[in-house]
Amino acid sequence: MSEIDDLVAKIVQQIGDNGSASTTASQSATTTNEKELKRNDYPLYSKHPELVRSPSGKALKDITLDNVINNNIKSNDLRITPDTLRLQGEVASDAGRDAIQRNFKRAAELTSIPDARLLEMYNALRPYRSTKAELLAISSELKDKYNAPVNAGWFAEAADYYESRKKLKGDN
Amino acid sequence: MMGPNDPKPSIKIENGKVTEMDQKPAKDFDLIDLYIAKYGIKLENAEKVMAMDSTKIANMLCDPNVGRDDIIALTTAMTPAKAEEVISKLNFAEMIMATQKMRPRRTPATQCHVTNIRDNPVQIAADAADAALRGFPEQETTTAVARYAPLNAISLLVGAQTGRPGVISQCSVEEAAELNLGMRGFTGYAETISVYGTDKVFTDGDDTPWSKGFLASCYASRGLKMRFTSGSGSEVMMGYTEGKSMLYLESRCIFITKASGVQGLQNGGVSCIGIPGSVPGGIRSVLGENLLCMMLDLECASANDQAFSHSDMRRTERLLGQFIAGTDYISSGYSSTPNYDNTFAGSNTDGLDYDDYYVMERDLAINGGIHPVTEDAIIKVRNKAAKALQAVFEDLGLPKITDEEVEAATYANTSKDMPDRNMVEDMKAAQDLMDRGITAVDVVKALYNHGFKDVAQAVLDLQKQKVCGDFLQTSAIFDENWNVISAVNDANDYRGPGTGYRLEEDTDEWERIKNIPFAIDPQHMQL
Repeated sequence: MSEIDDLVAKIVQQIGDNGSASTTASQSATTTNEKELKRNDYPLYSKHPELVRSPSGKALKDITLDNVINNNIKSNDLRITPDTLRLQGEVASDAGRDAIQRNFKRAAELTSIPDARLLEMYNALRPYRSTKAELLAISSELKDKYNAPVNAGWFAEAADYYESRKKLKGDN
Repeated sequence: MMGPNDPKPSIKIENGKVTEMDQKPAKDFDLIDLYIAKYGIKLENAEKVMAMDSTKIANMLCDPNVGRDDIIALTTAMTPAKAEEVISKLNFAEMIMATQKMRPRRTPATQCHVTNIRDNPVQIAADAADAALRGFPEQETTTAVARYAPLNAISLLVGAQTGRPGVISQCSVEEAAELNLGMRGFTGYAETISVYGTDKVFTDGDDTPWSKGFLASCYASRGLKMRFTSGSGSEVMMGYTEGKSMLYLESRCIFITKASGVQGLQNGGVSCIGIPGSVPGGIRSVLGENLLCMMLDLECASANDQAFSHSDMRRTERLLGQFIAGTDYISSGYSSTPNYDNTFAGSNTDGLDYDDYYVMERDLAINGGIHPVTEDAIIKVRNKAAKALQAVFEDLGLPKITDEEVEAATYANTSKDMPDRNMVEDMKAAQDLMDRGITAVDVVKALYNHGFKDVAQAVLDLQKQKVCGDFLQTSAIFDENWNVISAVNDANDYRGPGTGYRLEEDTDEWERIKNIPFAIDPQHMQL
């Protein structure tokens, strides 16, 4: 068992190292928040309600029945913002779930895309739906119109692989 | 598991890129291999972990002295074939031990189905309230007729929040339609985002790993919880297994889920349970695939849904691994109605099994996720939910729900007990509701306008949680005060006897489980 113990100790050590490295990296990229959130900052609802806003800038405490009835809160106020997704990504990362943080980074970029257009983009990415040029056009749209570089890369990557693995329009 | 054609575990990494995985060189990778190799494996320690003896890792899995985090450092640096090999070393009892430790959320729970074969909305609302009161923190509906989807989603939402605030609900329909319901706030989460273990079946399922990964991000971008679905046997049923074992293919599905950054997965045969259920060791392998999901640190909704046998003993056999160990959702789901009304083709356990299930929890002192309730409380809450939905229908200009329907739904066992509705009118109204752009905010207003202020508040609170995003974290559910309970703030800390979730320490729940209404006090027996 000792070799396993050693390995585990080593891995845990390495994970610790990587963790602190990534913290430093993204800290420098963060402008709105001085310190990245840790798992102990969760749940935001009870521990950091001041950090959460609706897309129109309303605070959680303003999302009340009265405000809904008076039309001060509308349906599009009841949405998550890129900032909140970033904070939840920090929590996920600190809890050891980097993949979830990556998903939330993609999601943060998608918050500004209208529902109907987002559904169209998803459908375009399904097999045999799009030509390579069509996928690359969406990639450009994501980058230029919605400032969504990660998702632009996602579509560009898919365009390449769909070509080599025969999932483009007409390949079926 | 360990089929003769399954690849031997291997990995080669050059300049930070995988050049070979499970005996396949990168040039032969299909989309699934490409996706897993790029996003699904932590490469830093992969070569070391792949060189470890699988039996030793299996031993660590069921050894309570080895912590969950230490195991996850290893399992997330493996390939699908290696993970399959580790699982294959465990017998059924060892899998239970390992599951108890590897479940992400400390507190176990379970999920239910709420459906009926006539898509009767009033009955859905009453049944949802009924199930919520019994303790299901997540509820799933689907349709008998697809066009009913918006009505079913709203009926479930209103019913569940009437029964117990904090329940989250979903409506399982086609991928894009399901997301649309979520965007409007009619649902709180989604689960039937299916992934498959071979390229051909994935394509037949009308997606690729990239489209599914994108869909996952779409859900998160709207503050909606979601998990993927997979399950042994799906590739067999859909005809393209590439000759590989069910567990190997399922392992690939689990790695796709991990790679997508999705917080969880519904797996364990699921609606294909008939296939693994019919081969030797199949049900063991199904628990193995649940365990594999958990050991990759994913929320696991562990199936026990579609019925595969009419034998009461085999139904219990199917359930017992997940039931004893406890999972994030032991069933996904338990049919809250009698199976007659289950439009998911019938579940392993249904509404008629409640009493036996409660006694199993009581006898074994296990929290199986639900608890008994009194008849009075059930009747009251069913009636309130039916009335609340009646109000919502009236306010939104949907076809009238009569007092007769409310009364029938209050006491209905199945949809046979419900008066007929004009289904053509309902379907037209469902489409019209979507065309008019109705959202959950309109539902909140409707409830408020008719004096259901508490239910209105609960529906609004769910929308508020979508702004906050706490329930996007792994294995998240809510209590009745909307306190989130997830693998972040309720992480499983099992390390052997005296640790982890203990029912006797969860005193309120243990009292509810002990207090079965049909127990007879010998002091009061009359001859």
